[in-house]
Amino acid sequence: MSQTKVMRKLSGARFAENSKAWLIMLPSLILMLFFVWEPLFESVRMSLYKTRNVELVRYIGFDNYISVMGKDDFIQALLNTFSYTFWSLIIGFLLPVVLAMIIGETRRSKGIFRTIAYLPNMLPGLAVIILWSSFFSAEKSGVLNILLSTIGVSPQTYLTRAEWVIPIIIIIATWKGAGATALIYMASMAGVSPELYEAAAIDGATVLQRVWHILLPSIRKLMGTLLILQIISVFQIMYEPMVLTKGGPDNASLSLMQLMWQYAFGGSMNYGKASAVAVIVTGILLVMTLIHSYFDRKESSWD
Amino acid sequence: MNRFVKLVSLLLAAALLLSALPCTLAEEVIDADLNCTITLGNWPADTAPQAEKDLFLGYQATMAKQYPNVTLVPDYYSYTLSSYVPMAKGGTAPSIFQPPFTDPQLLISQHLVGDVTEALQNAGVLDKFSPSYVEMLAGDDGRIYGLPRDGYVLGLHINIDLFREAGLMTEEGLPMYPTTLQELAEYGQIIREKTGKAGLVFPASETYGGWLFTNIAWNFGCVGESALEYQDEDGRWVCNFTSPECIAAMEYMRDLRWKYDILNADATTSDWASSHTSLGTGEAAMNFGADDCVDQPTANKGLPVDSFALVPFPAGPAGRYALAGGTCYMFAPNITADQGTALMAYLKVLGKLPFLDDAIVAGMRADYAAKRDRGAPVLPAISAWNDEDYNAAKQAVIDEFCNVDMRLYNDFFDSISEGTITLKSEEPVFAQQLYRELTSVVQRMITREGADVEKALRKAEESFQEYLDDEINDY
Repeated sequence: MSQTKVMRKLSGARFAENSKAWLIMLPSLILMLFFVWEPLFESVRMSLYKTRNVELVRYIGFDNYISVMGKDDFIQALLNTFSYTFWSLIIGFLLPVVLAMIIGETRRSKGIFRTIAYLPNMLPGLAVIILWSSFFSAEKSGVLNILLSTIGVSPQTYLTRAEWVIPIIIIIATWKGAGATALIYMASMAGVSPELYEAAAIDGATVLQRVWHILLPSIRKLMGTLLILQIISVFQIMYEPMVLTKGGPDNASLSLMQLMWQYAFGGSMNYGKASAVAVIVTGILLVMTLIHSYFDRKESSWD
Repeated sequence: MNRFVKLVSLLLAAALLLSALPCTLAEEVIDADLNCTITLGNWPADTAPQAEKDLFLGYQATMAKQYPNVTLVPDYYSYTLSSYVPMAKGGTAPSIFQPPFTDPQLLISQHLVGDVTEALQNAGVLDKFSPSYVEMLAGDDGRIYGLPRDGYVLGLHINIDLFREAGLMTEEGLPMYPTTLQELAEYGQIIREKTGKAGLVFPASETYGGWLFTNIAWNFGCVGESALEYQDEDGRWVCNFTSPECIAAMEYMRDLRWKYDILNADATTSDWASSHTSLGTGEAAMNFGADDCVDQPTANKGLPVDSFALVPFPAGPAGRYALAGGTCYMFAPNITADQGTALMAYLKVLGKLPFLDDAIVAGMRADYAAKRDRGAPVLPAISAWNDEDYNAAKQAVIDEFCNVDMRLYNDFFDSISEGTITLKSEEPVFAQQLYRELTSVVQRMITREGADVEKALRKAEESFQEYLDDEINDY
């Protein structure tokens, strides 16, 4: 048998093998194409057009981007979105790790604690916001104000203070999401060999030393991945400020995604500008993801 | 034999009755040839009060008799701009829906609603609704795209219990309500001091703050040459938030918070619904509200009707204006001529067209009876129709079911009928966007004590001007 014939037979066999794989993937690919990629490209296309509701009227290049980025509310929303991300890292990044460690160290009823930690995540998002809006209500009937009144503190305002509103929203988001993230950390921590702890304990390492030298290095990669996922998620924050503060006071909690919603549905029906904001958000997140991937690869090559 | 005769007589009588029945039914059938399906938005949800659901089932039964080949598809859809656009573009919008008067011009300009000029003409009502409403519901092409459901005039909702607690009652036992914006601030201060509750609940989130502020601004003189937006000689739309009148109005807003301290503490997160809750549950004494939502603090939030009053919008230094608006019926962009006819028939059954017959009067009575049973004040309606007979008949039904002391409402209705208050419709173009810009300024004023009024208004003016240029001037 000639070499060409062997090659042809091999590639035929590979095709037959690959075609089955492609067939299996086909439904997913079609769904991805129609429900992910097509809307994504349509959004980019729409951002380059003057629109009348969802119709494209005429091509205007980058005018939508220039117009959107030149406005104060965009700058405010951009800064707010970075502020959300910053506060989410301060308040919400390490909390799940600590939670996972505490639950992991529990000797009895670990399952109950795990369920309790995860419970807020099972509540519908809007219900959580409404719940917390009663807690932070500025009226005398607000739960926090009732609690404070027991120690003689007069009623305070919370969500109407520009400097407090973003941290409060992040506290609420963390309350809801930390338990779920903690479960992921717990799963990763469970994979750390107990012998390492025992050896460290025999060598006289304190709890903190064991955490620092054994536990954290074991979950470092996972922390990196969850960090970028958290940034991506918080960067798209929308319904929390939308329901709780409607972006106020004076745009102090307006996020980029909320600004996008306002352009599309807030009375102006400007889908072109809304798409421009969406593309800008995607671009920023893409850059962040690429930076993370770069460092991740670099770290892997060092390993 | 005798028994046999009786039986035959009975059978003959029954046969006579049965033969008469088709005649009766035939009389009720108005158009058996009309064959189409209409989807009806705003159908009461399963959770709605039973009386309301029964009312609509009655309408459905009447339609089935009069137009046996028209299929009614109930739809719980309640209009919002964001949900309507994709439905209209995707061909799934209900045949009829109910937007507020802020949106018709936007929907018409975007070709998102159906033309019902012919249907209105055929129904004989085109010349019966007041010209101002025609203006709101017609396109540049002169065609009509909707019809008014009801009108409202903005006034002041009063929680009488808090006025009584603050000692603001007349000798006749009526609330001593503010007739000017200055009195509003002063009375609000008294209420705050005496009761600890907010004098005025002011919803300042999203677009609500700007919406209410425009009415205050008009009373400070932001009309005519000082209007918040106007068209210049070249036909260009110009935003004018920095007139001395507008600045004075915004300074007044700032004073309500920092000088008089009469506002609810969480104004920037309050919306239309929560402001009614505040008034209804006794957290605030006054709320800028209209005559079409008197059921909100009462029936919906538990304030007894005798603890509630509706008074005219307080006058400002430059006059007394009150916003007149309302809700209208509009139609899906793809409705056919037959559907248009069927929809007019449906509206006629609902009693929303200016026609009178026993069934329509019965419908009106059922409507007001349901209102009274829910604990909502039954008040005179501000009619969008200029048909005198129709309006008089409606008023007679209202009088029959009236459940309030009209002394608590007379000043409001008299101010409209006697013309002591000037009714004004919403700002002419892109009102929602204008409200959004002004809401932002209002929020700044009530959250930052030293906020610079003129600077904030100038910023909002620039932003809205850019919007006007983009959307109209340079389109």
